Amino acid sequence: MVDSIIVEGYEIFKDRLYTKTHEWIKIHGENGIVGITDYAQKELQDITYVELPDIGIEVSQGEEVATVESVKHTSPIYSPVSGEIINVNENLEEEPDIINKNPYGDGWIFEIKLTNPGEIKNLLSPEIYADLVRAEKKS
Amino acid sequence: MVIQHPHRTIHISLGAKMGEFGGWETPISYTSVKDEHIAVRTRVGVFDLTHMGRILIKGDNASEFLSKMVPKKMEKATPGTMPGPTALLNEKSGIIDDVMPYKISENEWLLAVNAPNRDKDISWLKKWRDKLGYTGVAIEDYTFEYSLIALQGPEASKILGSLGAGQLTQIKPLTFIHDTSIAGWNIWIASRSGWTGEDGFEFIADPESTEGLFKAFIEAGAKPCGLGARDSLRMEVGFVLAGEDIDENVTPVDARYWLVFDYDKIDCIGCQALKEALSIGARKVRVGVRFKKKDRRIPRRGYEIFVPGTDTVIGTVTSGAYSPLLDRGIGQAYIDPSHALFGMKVEVEIRGKRVKAKIVDFPFIRK
Repeated sequence: MVDSIIVEGYEIFKDRLYTKTHEWIKIHGENGIVGITDYAQKELQDITYVELPDIGIEVSQGEEVATVESVKHTSPIYSPVSGEIINVNENLEEEPDIINKNPYGDGWIFEIKLTNPGEIKNLLSPEIYADLVRAEKKS
Repeated sequence: MVIQHPHRTIHISLGAKMGEFGGWETPISYTSVKDEHIAVRTRVGVFDLTHMGRILIKGDNASEFLSKMVPKKMEKATPGTMPGPTALLNEKSGIIDDVMPYKISENEWLLAVNAPNRDKDISWLKKWRDKLGYTGVAIEDYTFEYSLIALQGPEASKILGSLGAGQLTQIKPLTFIHDTSIAGWNIWIASRSGWTGEDGFEFIADPESTEGLFKAFIEAGAKPCGLGARDSLRMEVGFVLAGEDIDENVTPVDARYWLVFDYDKIDCIGCQALKEALSIGARKVRVGVRFKKKDRRIPRRGYEIFVPGTDTVIGTVTSGAYSPLLDRGIGQAYIDPSHALFGMKVEVEIRGKRVKAKIVDFPFIRK
């Protein structure tokens, strides 16, 4: 079991980093796997469609790279880091609600090869992200 | 200023996600929009619709006054019936709001109106009351005196039966019982009506009784449902949402909203312009837009509609939803009359990409 923090009923895995826009990235070597957080999927509710990025495109940190559409909203997904998209989760095309079922595992969205690892310092630790979720729930 | 919901505590305790609609903070969903939608189509759900406006029109010649305000004949209506839906039209027959009239007694009516339009409707009614000289007619905002809940779905009657209110299941659609009691709660108006395309009932009562009844329905097996499911339910059957699919820029003819008027009615605000609109024909036409099966993207308000493979824009989406029954995105749109052709393939542009769709008639689902 991965160590996690539960805040306001939302799970935050401690083995990865986060963004203010509710993406997570799990870095391994020079690549990272990206998805959206438990809080994000619960806010969106039933996800009906995921528009995946094209493999091979170069993106910058904070750039919109994918779209998640739910019965409630259409939400852009921003890349947590700069890099090249090297893989996408094609299972989401048929079963987008995997994100609702397992946002930190099978519900990953894309894999990126980092071109500027120094940017990692701009990301949020699980503890800081937990504070952000707490603050958003209060507002 | 967002209006605090009188039943906020119970909704929060049921796990509701609250959101803003028409100036109110109101339940959007409790568990999942999709699950709530399916519960109403297959079993039964209960909605808190207190945010909707309730306007009482009463006094000498109230019936005559109301008749002058809507393009549908109100004269033949008997107490206990709802001769609607109808609409408040401006002088050019643009739709100010679609409304449901309840005839309580000879000169006492309740108008149920859309939350975002309540103030506008009241001002409009008062303006014409004064202009037309109906000095004996009182127009009162009852929105905060009473609450409204709706029990919707094929098993709605079963729930009422289990609560000892079987007599209510005998009434016809668009009729109501005035001053009754269900499960020990005093109900001002209990009607057979709704906006989901399913059998169902709506209850108007003081806030305490409404909350008691809401809880009783849930205990009897109804699933609490929010505005998210209400929106996708009304979309599947092609019902309009005021402010999105209808507004003052469209007439009932453009909107193909045939339910709201009688062709031979002449004496009402907007009636003359409506006659002209019928002669001239639609300036744009409200139609359904349906994506391919399993294309679960949602055609959202403002998306443009094109002739396939061209840059020719023929219309714009006004509202959209995910249809759990059809497992795809569906929406309502206004299309140029030249292209309002059921069965025609079109493309909807979503974030720069063209998505295949078809123009269809309502309802989207056959029941």
